Amino acid sequence: MSAAYLTLESVRKEFGAVLAVDTFNLDVAAGEFVSFLGPSGCGKTTTLRMVAGFEQPSSGTIRLGGKDITFAKPNERNIGMVFQSYALFPNMTVGQNVGFGLKVHGRPKHEIDTRVKEMLELIQLPNLEKRYPYQLSGGQQQRVALARALAIRPQVLLLDEPLSALDAKIRISLRAEIRAIQRELGITAIYVTHDQEEALSISDRIVVMNMGEIEQVGTPFEIYNFPKTQFVANFVGSVNNADAEVVDPTNGILSMDGVHLKTADVDMSNRMKGDKVKISIRPERFSFAAEPMKDNVVDCIIENITFLGSVVRIQISIGNTKFNMDTFNNPFLDLPAIGAMEKVMCSKEAVLVL
Amino acid sequence: MTISTSPVPLAAKATEDRAPVRQNRLWSWLIYIVGAVYFLVPLAATFYWSLRAEKGVFGLEAYRRLFVDANFLPAFSESIVNAVAAIFLSLLIIVPTAYWVTLRLPRLRAVVEFITLLPFVIPAVVLVFGLIRLYSRPPLLLTATYDSSRILLVCVYAALSFPYMFRSVDNGLRAMDVQALTEAAQSLGANWGTILFKVIFPNLRVALLSGALLTFAIVIGELTIALFMAQHTLGPYMANLTRSKVYEPSAMAIVAFAITWAAMGLIAYTSRERRQQ
Repeated sequence: MSAAYLTLESVRKEFGAVLAVDTFNLDVAAGEFVSFLGPSGCGKTTTLRMVAGFEQPSSGTIRLGGKDITFAKPNERNIGMVFQSYALFPNMTVGQNVGFGLKVHGRPKHEIDTRVKEMLELIQLPNLEKRYPYQLSGGQQQRVALARALAIRPQVLLLDEPLSALDAKIRISLRAEIRAIQRELGITAIYVTHDQEEALSISDRIVVMNMGEIEQVGTPFEIYNFPKTQFVANFVGSVNNADAEVVDPTNGILSMDGVHLKTADVDMSNRMKGDKVKISIRPERFSFAAEPMKDNVVDCIIENITFLGSVVRIQISIGNTKFNMDTFNNPFLDLPAIGAMEKVMCSKEAVLVL
Repeated sequence: MTISTSPVPLAAKATEDRAPVRQNRLWSWLIYIVGAVYFLVPLAATFYWSLRAEKGVFGLEAYRRLFVDANFLPAFSESIVNAVAAIFLSLLIIVPTAYWVTLRLPRLRAVVEFITLLPFVIPAVVLVFGLIRLYSRPPLLLTATYDSSRILLVCVYAALSFPYMFRSVDNGLRAMDVQALTEAAQSLGANWGTILFKVIFPNLRVALLSGALLTFAIVIGELTIALFMAQHTLGPYMANLTRSKVYEPSAMAIVAFAITWAAMGLIAYTSRERRQQ
């Protein structure tokens, strides 16, 4: 990764006795798209607002392009922001909204007109310049808000749950559009969301937050496949959790209800025989054992089968523990009967010790 | 099991159900008519009286006399200027206050609301005597000349408008996402002045107009304070007219009503336009 463009160093925010953000450290590279992901109240929006300048950190430093902006006023930061509620100025047309920032900066009229046209082309709404916000759909309003934020050529673009107020289909198309525009302009962006699918699909890196702290920072691939904490494993995607006991730490052997499972977890070398651990396995990492494998082929009982469209979810019991197992749907899928005894398998890499 | 349907009893039930509705509607109309009679009869009588200035003829003679009276137009224009000045002063005080309370100090809303209600609580006579006592001696000597008293009168009118102006502006601010609009403007580089005059004021247009027109309607015919401050405005002019003329006061009353109604009509029209948006 290239050198940090935006740096948050030990940033902390307290609201009275409530600690909203605790020792937040993050380096964002120029042109990177980083998402803050977490449940409501985890501090992601507060962190974003501190970058925007709407909240001041209780302690810590925020640097943008090498310049300390910790206590700079919001209107002196050159940071564009897109809000959940669009926040378009109702008294202004689309064109006036997009050109507002440039007008405030005292740019000449011909420059504003050219930039407004350019931005409306970018968001594919070139003919709506004269319309008022109330004459636009939610999706169109948010695209105008994006154009308005980008028109001033900000150093960083902040997006605070910009798609939350839109319906599912528009959300999917618009998030792809946001990502395409961000890539085209090469702008550094921070995106706040509580929607894990959104974060996984749009980001270069994800910062998973919980109770004001960073749980994990990584690429979507790392976050999903190699969660470092139980919270991340549970918050991002579906996961099966179970209690197990370390049998052979050197070879990564665990015992769950007497059933031996092998793990590739690197932290096993730090464990002792007899240690109690929590293990997590993603439902899609299980499959029916067509042929014996070396690792983790175990007996199970089919408890229930649920059809979920593209996926079929099969509930299985391994020993006394129930697991979900996901398999892709196809019209010729040969599913076992409920109550049948089957063999399932998962790789040792699928067994995460958290 | 079969279920029998019987249209006759259902129809009878429906008729029974409709009976109280009809009775309620009758009462509503009755109350409406009584109210209309209560308000319109005195007005109609005043209008009728204002048309009888010439013996045996119905005409606008009283109105003509009123408008040619050398004192009427100066008093009327002075009241209009006072009202407009009071509206601007009130807007300059109330809009930033209500905006800041909404944005940064929502806990203080009740306190500010109470303060703006004080003109309702303090009788005009008490208010004017208090003001005269306070501003009739140095260092705040404002009652020495006619013009300085007029400035004081405008300030008092601005204070009198606070209950209406604050409520209108507060309602307008609540109808929009003040915080998001402010932050959006800030992130685009706007300072507080730009935010207030380019974003907040224009979006409060209807609310400001409502507050302004209510203030106008109150100030234009205000008597007590203007009289005690020896101002030649429409209120004292009307009081004098009542003492010295027969038909002109009625004509004046109708003109005052027309101005107030025009103000109210304008509020209703602009509010409807906004709702349609």
